[in-house]
Amino acid sequence: MSRIRPYGRGLWRAVGLALLAAALGAVVLGGSGACVVVPQNRRKHLADPMMRFEEDALDAHRRQKFYTTREAAAGGDGMPAGGGCGCQ
Amino acid sequence: MTVALLAALVAQAVAPPPYAIESVRVRFTHYDQRGRGYQSAAGPAGTAGSEQLTVEQPQAEVVARVGERITERVWIPMDVVTAASPDHSRYNRPITDDPPDAVSTASRRNVAGTFDALTTYHLDRDTDVAFRTAFHMEEPFESWAFGIGVTRSMAEENTVFDANVYQVLDWFDRFKIDGMREARSNRSTSNLNLTLTQVLSPTTVGAISYGGTLQSGTLGNTWSSVLLADGSRGAERLPRERWRHALAARLAQWLPWQGALKVSYRIYVDDWSALANTGEVTVVQRLFAGLRLRASYRAHHQTAVRFFTKAADPDATGYRTGDSDLARFVAQTVGGGLTWDLSRAGVVTDLHFDLGYEHYFRTNDLTVDIATCGFGLLF
Repeated sequence: MSRIRPYGRGLWRAVGLALLAAALGAVVLGGSGACVVVPQNRRKHLADPMMRFEEDALDAHRRQKFYTTREAAAGGDGMPAGGGCGCQ
Repeated sequence: MTVALLAALVAQAVAPPPYAIESVRVRFTHYDQRGRGYQSAAGPAGTAGSEQLTVEQPQAEVVARVGERITERVWIPMDVVTAASPDHSRYNRPITDDPPDAVSTASRRNVAGTFDALTTYHLDRDTDVAFRTAFHMEEPFESWAFGIGVTRSMAEENTVFDANVYQVLDWFDRFKIDGMREARSNRSTSNLNLTLTQVLSPTTVGAISYGGTLQSGTLGNTWSSVLLADGSRGAERLPRERWRHALAARLAQWLPWQGALKVSYRIYVDDWSALANTGEVTVVQRLFAGLRLRASYRAHHQTAVRFFTKAADPDATGYRTGDSDLARFVAQTVGGGLTWDLSRAGVVTDLHFDLGYEHYFRTNDLTVDIATCGFGLLF
């Protein structure tokens, strides 16, 4: 039984690798200096705590764990998609 | 005299570097979950069983600066879960308002704790290297996680690139669906994350992230059951490997009336054929001084994994699951909260309070109410 391989597995791996390629493309674009450079003295609004993607690390953790253990999808937030506590 | 001098030199050599506590934070969250799922046998025969449970989740975190180049973060989250494994003890009995009994005594009230340490070494002005290790303990489950990451700032800190890898190893007891303990089992989770954060204008910042995860070993909790076409229940059977990919984009925009708008989108695929799209929008508004009001909405759609079933063929030998978390559904979360940062002059430079509430509901009969509060001291 354990040797049965799910149908269509290669397709989903290809889609996943396409996502990785898209991310790497963005990294190359950003690292090449193709994007704008805003001087530090014009970034005061960006330094406001409201502008952080995650304002509080502990709140971000409890949200990440809640969704990881209740939905099939996870990841993209810098943490493993599964493993550890939560039985997934 | 010489001995005293040597002792003084040795004491100087082994003296720890000076340290300073930067912040102390605590948070408490309460979850109240209701609903039914086909993986639970806690209900009448031939129907989905109860998924009712509550979780109390305290967390504590201390961040300290050690010497000139090291920042140490110690974080201890805990979970106290009722009915962590609702199963056969309620099979073919009516659903009540009580949390269902558990498959093992350990799960009637499961206490889980983690010790997580993150050490960040500031290599130079633009580069940080971080090391993480974590231990998780609960009955009957142990876990060890470790990882390394690099963060590099470029273009006058307009561009920040972060890459990290994690490895998680789990060991746990394997059960039959009737609660009999079979043996020990294990699971491995390997993870790669890449994140690029880019300043787009004086009021806009964006980020794009990729997360790839490979899991292998026993990938279920081993006690979830599957409803069979003849009305009885059988064991869940899952593949022993899973490749998972997620690509996320986030944007934060400053609003001229002292507010911020944050939007995010994630696409996810895995080789169990789950495909998911998740979008979220958050609006933050400063009311006065350090008081901020927050409102958020999240929508998530996913397809079922290819072997999800609500009535499995009793004679089939392939993979099967009735886990409602792996089904096709739309989930929505609406929430809001208040945050208050009180700046002070003195030893404590900032006092932080926040209160939040979220309501999570989805189309396959699961509802969770979440209340959370946090307190922090920044030195």
